[in-house]
Amino acid sequence: MRALIILAVLLTAGTAYAEPTAGETSFQQKCVACHTVGGGRRVGPDLKGVTERRDPAWLERWIREPDRMLAEKDPVATQLLKESNQVPMPNLAVTEAEAKDLIAYMKAKSDAAAAGPATPAAPPPSPHLGEVQTVAVVLFVLLSLVVAGVFAAVARSTRLAVPTIDTKRAYAVRRVFFFVAGTVMLVLLLATLRRTPYAAARAPDRVVYVVAKQFAFFYSAEPITSDAELARAPKLDPLTFAAGSVVEFRVTSLDVNHAFGLYGPDGAVFAQTQAMPGYVNRLRVSLPKAGEYHVLCFEYCGTGHHLMQSSFTVR
Amino acid sequence: MKHAQRNTLGWIAVTVVLFLVLLLVGMFLRAVQANQLDAAQGWFYPMMTLHGVGMAGLWWVGAMACASRVLARYVEPSEKVSSFAMLGTVAGVVLLLVSVFLGRFAAGWYFLYPLPLKGTWPRWSTVVFLASLTVLAVTWLVWVLDLLRAIAKKFPLTRALGWHYITGAEGPEVPPVVLITTVSLIAAIACLVSGAATVVFFVLELFTGTGSDPLLMKNLTFLFGHLLVNLSLYLAVGVIYDVLPTYTGRPWKANRVVAVAWNVVLWVVLFAYFHHLYMDFAQPPAFQYLGQVASYVSSIPSAVVTVFGAVALVYRAPVRWNLTVALFFLGLMGWGIGGIGAVIDSTIAVNSVLHNTLWVPAHFHTYMIEGLVLMVLGYFYHYCQEEAPIEEDLRLHKIATCLIVVGGYGFLAMFYLSGALGVPRRFAIYPANVAHGATLSKVALGFITLFLGGLLVYARELGRRWNKARQAIHA
Repeated sequence: MRALIILAVLLTAGTAYAEPTAGETSFQQKCVACHTVGGGRRVGPDLKGVTERRDPAWLERWIREPDRMLAEKDPVATQLLKESNQVPMPNLAVTEAEAKDLIAYMKAKSDAAAAGPATPAAPPPSPHLGEVQTVAVVLFVLLSLVVAGVFAAVARSTRLAVPTIDTKRAYAVRRVFFFVAGTVMLVLLLATLRRTPYAAARAPDRVVYVVAKQFAFFYSAEPITSDAELARAPKLDPLTFAAGSVVEFRVTSLDVNHAFGLYGPDGAVFAQTQAMPGYVNRLRVSLPKAGEYHVLCFEYCGTGHHLMQSSFTVR
Repeated sequence: MKHAQRNTLGWIAVTVVLFLVLLLVGMFLRAVQANQLDAAQGWFYPMMTLHGVGMAGLWWVGAMACASRVLARYVEPSEKVSSFAMLGTVAGVVLLLVSVFLGRFAAGWYFLYPLPLKGTWPRWSTVVFLASLTVLAVTWLVWVLDLLRAIAKKFPLTRALGWHYITGAEGPEVPPVVLITTVSLIAAIACLVSGAATVVFFVLELFTGTGSDPLLMKNLTFLFGHLLVNLSLYLAVGVIYDVLPTYTGRPWKANRVVAVAWNVVLWVVLFAYFHHLYMDFAQPPAFQYLGQVASYVSSIPSAVVTVFGAVALVYRAPVRWNLTVALFFLGLMGWGIGGIGAVIDSTIAVNSVLHNTLWVPAHFHTYMIEGLVLMVLGYFYHYCQEEAPIEEDLRLHKIATCLIVVGGYGFLAMFYLSGALGVPRRFAIYPANVAHGATLSKVALGFITLFLGGLLVYARELGRRWNKARQAIHA
């Protein structure tokens, strides 16, 4: 039995960490920032089935010299540019052999995706106020109403005008105001400064390395510090966690500033950290509830910013 | 004298016209987010950059123009420098327009390093954008130094900062506008120098390939941006200290409390910017905690001293509620309400869920369009009415202020609600899990149209007086 388990683990490991093909490596290095194959649209279109949709010669040329085709006003290229928010596909100096590898990879990946069971996307949760957000909104509305009420009362008081007011009394009121405001502020500081995300409660059950790159997030079990490592490192796709686990996300970026914004299965934001080139931010979160967790980029990172999204599942 | 009048009327025209244009750009942004302008969606991020840089710069110069005009009652700022400031500002704006409209530059208003160097726009548009910032920073630095020179000529620095009120020593009476402007201008030097340093590091990388540290650049950028917006507000508040008493018939003088409050502001405002970096966990934690303490403490002088003082000044005063008084009063209220939203967001534990959601533009739009903007517009009206009095139709003034309040706060409420519901800022199109952002944008558009209506009524009232004042100069 033990031998069978070991064999199963070895086989699984062998599947998960299979050596990538030349086409897959090129795709990870040059295409993945803007495209997926079956994972939805990013800046550029989802490439699932692209080898069926486009003429092979056109596709190969588009991969190799998109800039020329755009300059020549190729109608399909122009339409793609429009659909991609005017973000042009760059010339990435792809060789003829590389283009053929890429096409083979996209075809194989598309076929695999078509053969797999179709899983309908779960509808997004209804808009929801998280616990902290609710406190923030209630506090904001109450305090704003107090301010507006005071201003309204003062404005109305001018109907019963007097040339001067009792300055000593006004100063006494100001002292009380100062004392109350100062005390409230001190209490709030003491209460909230202990609840920061910098010192998490307990050691993580799992560490996941997150790499942000215009305009996608990548997850891996090992650190990634360069484009070459990004192409080589096995990705955690799909990413899943056990309910109740504490996870440490080690977040960095390979290009510009991004941010890793986490939404819980109830639809409310519950944590975030910036993804900065050259730095690693460690975000430790507890994932008590099962469900789909969405990730959006929370720092403006360029014209495809709104397309930078991801998700993981907690079971 | 005519030179001074011409300068002020020039600043008023530039500010009001650019405000209307940039407001329309802002409405365009909300319309795209509401899925009403899909065809123009490709222009969202360049326009977002124009709207942000434009508005931040516009209200800085608007507040500076007001402050320098009011200061001229006590000291002698150079009118030539004021003219130079206008020329430099216009040149900077032209470069910005070239960068955005011809180069589609779209790195956002705080152009966070290294995005300007890694965008989809051409390299030359980044160069033009940096040139625009350089022209603006140098121009404004000269303007700031000239105002400080004018103040120093009459008030030694310690007197201008009101230290004799704090120590109880003998000294001249210092008008609050002098004290507040001095504090703001000293901090402005730090602001503009940090902005210039950011640009220098960008230029170094552009032309020599020498990279910069992203965390250092972030600190420099936010020191610059945070100070620019806050100091614009302080300059406008200084103007209110000087002008509001003429409507209430009661003096508003500097004393020990006012001097202590504004000297505290000078230091605290330099550290509050750390709250922009809470989500950069690599930043030393001591800075994060200092950011929250400084953000909380900075609200005490403004709330307890200035807003309380203004309220006491108006309480049961024989006020005639024309546009100036109404806009000053509402501007202080907007400053207070926006401040509440800002202090809540400056709490690290809250910032973890609200940072870079629409809660952030919610609070800074509150103290901009319902705060600083109203203060500056209130002063513009006051100036034109003083220069070229026309009988006032208070009913019309009431309509304008009602539209500005109802439209403005309705618009802001959609921002706050969106932020609390997790809608991120700076998204041209909302993904499925935050699709409610589009509906709230649509409602916001309705409200901001009301605000625009109020603004047009104001512009008509101002325009009549501005025109008469201009004709008087030429007569």
